Amino acid sequence: MQVDAIPLSIKYKINYPDEFIEAVKRGEIVATRCKNCGSVYFPPQKDCYNCGKNEMEWIKVSNEGEIMTYSIVSQKPQGFENYKDYIIGIVRTKDGINLMAWIKGQPKVGGKVRLTTDDTRIIGEVV
Amino acid sequence: MTRRVAVIGVGNSKFGRRDDVSVQELAWESIKEALNDSGVSQSDIGLVVVGSTAYRGIELYPAPIVAEYSGLTGKVPLRVEAMCATGLAAALSAYTAVASGLVDMAMAVGVDKMTEVDTSTSLAIGGRGGNYQWEYHFYGTTFPTYYALYATRHMAVYGTTEEQMALVSVKAHKYGAMNPKAHFQKPVTVEEVLKSRVISWPIKLLDSCPISDGSATAIFASEEKVKELKIDSPVWITGIGYANDYAYVARRGEWVGFKATQLAARQAYNMAKVTPNDIEVATVHDAFTIAEIMGYEDLGFTEKGKGGKFIEEGQSEKGGKVGVNLFGGLKAKGHPLGATGLSMIYEITKQLRDEADKLQQPLKKYIGLVHNVGGTGHFAYVMVLRR
Ligand SMILES: [Zn+2]
Repeated sequence: MQVDAIPLSIKYKINYPDEFIEAVKRGEIVATRCKNCGSVYFPPQKDCYNCGKNEMEWIKVSNEGEIMTYSIVSQKPQGFENYKDYIIGIVRTKDGINLMAWIKGQPKVGGKVRLTTDDTRIIGEVV
Repeated sequence: MTRRVAVIGVGNSKFGRRDDVSVQELAWESIKEALNDSGVSQSDIGLVVVGSTAYRGIELYPAPIVAEYSGLTGKVPLRVEAMCATGLAAALSAYTAVASGLVDMAMAVGVDKMTEVDTSTSLAIGGRGGNYQWEYHFYGTTFPTYYALYATRHMAVYGTTEEQMALVSVKAHKYGAMNPKAHFQKPVTVEEVLKSRVISWPIKLLDSCPISDGSATAIFASEEKVKELKIDSPVWITGIGYANDYAYVARRGEWVGFKATQLAARQAYNMAKVTPNDIEVATVHDAFTIAEIMGYEDLGFTEKGKGGKFIEEGQSEKGGKVGVNLFGGLKAKGHPLGATGLSMIYEITKQLRDEADKLQQPLKKYIGLVHNVGGTGHFAYVMVLRR
């Protein structure tokens, strides 16, 4: 016989770097660069695994990019049920950083986008 | 110098929605079969590794429960996890213990009871199979989405079509219908696949493996033990390879194949001193249809970009160049994450012993391969097996 088991509700709190959240609010995307060896990290890291130092500077990422690939999400997961179908893409910026973004407009592999944000996340607007 | 290691016993539960059993009862189905198959008993085993992702079941820490139910208490000091490649991660641990001389016999048990949560919870857990903080949190990725990103790029770069992907599903269901242990027992057509509901374009429902319950077990023994026990049909692990890749999918730099698979395959082929052309029968990780097409390429069965053509030409069918997923694959046999890799060892062991009945691939060299991917290319394991 099947019975309901005791539900498990999990709540989490997580932290983002202030510099990243503030940049997104300004419509900008930032990455970190190691002051010692010049390694660039996106997602941003506080620690450089290349040289072992932890002195990083924040750098602005180019807002010009190319769509490398994309998918249109129809079956949405928890937390996104109320969104219309959205397009998740991978964009390569002019300065060579590959990042995830929501694509607005008609997507095409190899198509150009202008990167901005919607206050929360990175958006690639098809140009 | 490590010791030679053989698979001496295998077991596979019925896969599917298994409301009739608990996780420990499910595990016992394959443990019992593997013990009977090998002729050894619990007390002969020096180490048991349980592979389970566990997050979708009520038992978040299943190893002691499985051990207790199966008479293995005292032998199970760990559970391992590598997302969808958990089964081969458990196999690697058990193999290593025997190869190193730590124990003479080890068992790997893979089990997951995934249908204890509803589909939406399952999707949310799967969507975290990447880098939660920088992906799911902002973009609402699902597990199918990640594979869809590879499918879109593969289509754009190589002209792979949705019809070619559908053929992978058709092949899986055809063989699944001939395997009584498979989750799905009915064939599908290309049209049905193409018309099925879009999940994350270009991936549709019938491009996707189901959410399954199941278990599979393999018992590994040293060469000395194989001789001592007079095992008449040992299947030797002659090559083993493993690798991983970035969690944040964008950082991988290319999205037409899994670098982790390519690295693991090279390592396994080198160790086994074989080439892809020597492989006659294989399991290729087909969580989504595009995965099998990329697998043909990444494992070297065909050139990069020609995977779509490979299935179209029937080269991966029973009797083809390399029979792939002849027990139904993840797509039709089912994909209970922890069990999958060990179910692959079960399948190839049966094939190499000529015990696969209607699903038997005709073999000359008796060389097989198993390939298990974790996450969306986050982990990959490849094993070469020989009779
Ligand atoms: Zn550095």
